[in-house]
Amino acid sequence: MSGKRRNRTIINAFFYSFAGFLFLYSAYLFLSNLDQLFVTEAAIKTREITDIWGEDREILNQFAGGFWKDPYFWKSLNLTLVITLITTLIATILGIPTAYALSRYRIPGKSVVEILFSSLMVMPGSVVGICLIVMFNYGPLWKLQNLLGFKFAHSIFPGMVIASLVLSFAFGMSAWKATFDSINPRFEQVARSLGSSRWRAFRTITFPLAKSGIVAGIILAWTRAMAEFSAVLFFCGTFRELPASRFSDLTKFLQMDQADWVSVAVWAQVEFGNIEYGFALAFVLVLLGGISVYVMHRIGAKGYVW
Amino acid sequence: MALRSRGGWWPALCIGITASILAVYILLVTSNWIYLGWHDTLYFFSKSRMWERFWLTVWTATVSTSFSLFIGIPAGYALSRFRFPCRYLFASIIDLPIVVSPAVVGAFLFGITTRFPFDWISEYYGIYIGRNVYGVLLVQFTVTAAFCARLMKASFDMIPVRFEAVSHSLGASPLRTFFKVVLPMAKNGIIASMIVVWARAAAEWEGLMLFVGATEGKTDIMPFAIYLDWNGGMMGWVTSMSIVCILMAVSAISAMKLIGGRSNVW
Amino acid sequence: MKNFFKSSKGKEFMMKLINNLVVFLFISSFFLVTHTYGGEKRLLFHAGLGQRMALNEIKAVFEKRNPDIKVNFSYKGSGYFIADITRSKQGDLFMPGEEFYLMQAGERGFLTDYDPKTDIPAYFVTVIITPKGNPKNIKRIEDFARPGIKVGLGNPRSCAIGIWHQKTFRKAGIWDKVKENATLSAKCIPELGNATQHRAIDATIVWATTAVLYLRDVEIIPIEHKYRGIIRLPVGVLKFARYREESQKLMDFILSEEGRAIFHKHAYAINPVIPVDKQAFCLDGTTDKDMEYLVNAAKAVKDESFPVTKETIGDLAGQVLRQKKTKRAGD
Repeated sequence: MSGKRRNRTIINAFFYSFAGFLFLYSAYLFLSNLDQLFVTEAAIKTREITDIWGEDREILNQFAGGFWKDPYFWKSLNLTLVITLITTLIATILGIPTAYALSRYRIPGKSVVEILFSSLMVMPGSVVGICLIVMFNYGPLWKLQNLLGFKFAHSIFPGMVIASLVLSFAFGMSAWKATFDSINPRFEQVARSLGSSRWRAFRTITFPLAKSGIVAGIILAWTRAMAEFSAVLFFCGTFRELPASRFSDLTKFLQMDQADWVSVAVWAQVEFGNIEYGFALAFVLVLLGGISVYVMHRIGAKGYVW
Repeated sequence: MALRSRGGWWPALCIGITASILAVYILLVTSNWIYLGWHDTLYFFSKSRMWERFWLTVWTATVSTSFSLFIGIPAGYALSRFRFPCRYLFASIIDLPIVVSPAVVGAFLFGITTRFPFDWISEYYGIYIGRNVYGVLLVQFTVTAAFCARLMKASFDMIPVRFEAVSHSLGASPLRTFFKVVLPMAKNGIIASMIVVWARAAAEWEGLMLFVGATEGKTDIMPFAIYLDWNGGMMGWVTSMSIVCILMAVSAISAMKLIGGRSNVW
Repeated sequence: MKNFFKSSKGKEFMMKLINNLVVFLFISSFFLVTHTYGGEKRLLFHAGLGQRMALNEIKAVFEKRNPDIKVNFSYKGSGYFIADITRSKQGDLFMPGEEFYLMQAGERGFLTDYDPKTDIPAYFVTVIITPKGNPKNIKRIEDFARPGIKVGLGNPRSCAIGIWHQKTFRKAGIWDKVKENATLSAKCIPELGNATQHRAIDATIVWATTAVLYLRDVEIIPIEHKYRGIIRLPVGVLKFARYREESQKLMDFILSEEGRAIFHKHAYAINPVIPVDKQAFCLDGTTDKDMEYLVNAAKAVKDESFPVTKETIGDLAGQVLRQKKTKRAGD
């Protein structure tokens, strides 16, 4: 008996070791870059010879380039949070009816629709970005934009929301659809046979039952919107260098002018040679992502995706 | 008819929203074809360079998927079955590479390769990790290993623990239980997850942009080549390669749906 | 179909499939392990994204001449190289998009003997590009200051063209007005070309070698001498080069007449002496001929009847024929 138990312990240790490897790898991946946060002598020297860049590249602090003193950082964070919240809101408003329709009603070619939405999740970000550019800058949507008098590409308000909405909607929608699938349609039928209208049956029966799934879907949609990178990079670009007069009053009021999408800002800062600043932004993203995953695990929400 | 019954506006609204969103998404996916045109599509698809890149994408994704599966299946089993203190924190840290945007992961990989095991390997073998196809595999592995473990955990979660208990009580060793009971039962889920992991590995490029430079024919797997050709002003290549990527994603997902597996990420 | 997989026959089929897959995965892993490098020498060449097409051509010719040397490129945006090289301490040759980045590397002691007088294989020349048909009728530098023109500007932090935008418009005395017109801040030059191609901006200034990539979809307008910038494209051997002799060989090839001729095919200026003033603006018409070729090349791609000869488009025939083949550029 004891031999068997020891055997089991060894086997368990075998399985643990793989999970432990992943854990150590991931932790090492993130912790080994902590030294990047400190400004090195070489970085200071480079800044000294790059006088054309002027005050923009001033090092505010030895630690992480003093990112908390820079309004650009706070504006970028604000921009990303506001845009992702708007995106999640739109995705929720549009996604719940869509998920409900796809789950309950007979729609021709439903499996094709499911494949379309699921395949968006494994589509390269660069492809999504290219699709957005080609879709909005050619054909009927280009004519529509000419009629309206403003362009969607390279803009904060429609542009960034559209770019982050594409994948965030697909993720959230799948989660909500799976939730509605798991609820027996019979409850609603009973309610309707007792005289309740379709809307009321949804509001009072299905919606309360699906609440936890809907919350999980919202968190999933928000996380995905935060992780968006390539679609924003291709479709919107960066905004930091543009003059203040290019931004609308609303954008200025929300403190979102001359700021970038955070993950694009990470890339841009690393590419500019502001490594410590870029890594500071990256660690902020890691913290945000980690907290949202931890919450997901803690509340035990299941985000069904496929 | 739906409109006539009470509260009928609700299904009408649902179906209306669904139809318009579908129209937008279908336009999104097909815009490349419309932009490229038939003549150019034929021209670019007949080029050998396209297929060289395609095979590069396929084999790198396959190799990195096999590494991910090797780590991911046991790790997923451990995450699914074992209970230990702080396991949410543990699982969250494993999940970090899939929730953080891959560009950030690429930037972080840059740091890890100048440290202990990797600098030693690159010095000993005299290769530049992160400049060649090994870098591509490393990026793909980093992004998909955690993803794979997560999908596997979901597949194992769907199997009731009772089967294992019965198998144990009948005297089978844990290893035998795992290979003879758990794996065959999770087979569909594993294959479905494998396909998804493969498609995810083939879609990885943000990490490559920061971590691996571009070498023509060596590291330019398709999504990354899209970025490179976009910067070279070659819209023909860009759109035709995105068509291939879309087809790859769609066929992978169709294969998964055909097998009938279902997975969840969290 | 689902029933098929549940039937015993289906299960057998599935098991076979899995077995085959496992075997395939093993074989591919094996392929990876055995995929080691032979005796050939592999140079690591850090180069700016903009030089990609010309350098690929050079690589093809060079590798044919020297079968035991292979060239691996690491194409990135110029600004990122300093970060990359500082961290990794790897690489043999370095060719950023502007001398300025090379000076940064030199300042940090990464370069061996770099001589700014001789180590310049080619020059960039600035031109104006506008979307097809030139809807806002841009003809001169001064037109950029007109209110309502959407101008794309480079970001001076990450790409050399941004510095040149500032220089050029400051010299013309319209920098403040142009800055107000800016709708796009680009991180690299191709982004400006793409935005022009997709009609997101009305006009911008790019290198001639970038403009030549978009012959079908943009209009090219040469800049008058006073504002035409001549930018040096440098190349240097890095201190940590593993194969110093081979690197020097490749560098010599790039600097030779033959290497320069390849650059000329991609609309770089290769005149040995281009008189420039202190700010590197052009003084006389040395590059006029190249500009004429470029404008003619754009005409030749758009208009089937335009003659494609050495007299009309110079060495740009390769680019013109490449872009004439398909409606959307590629090769």
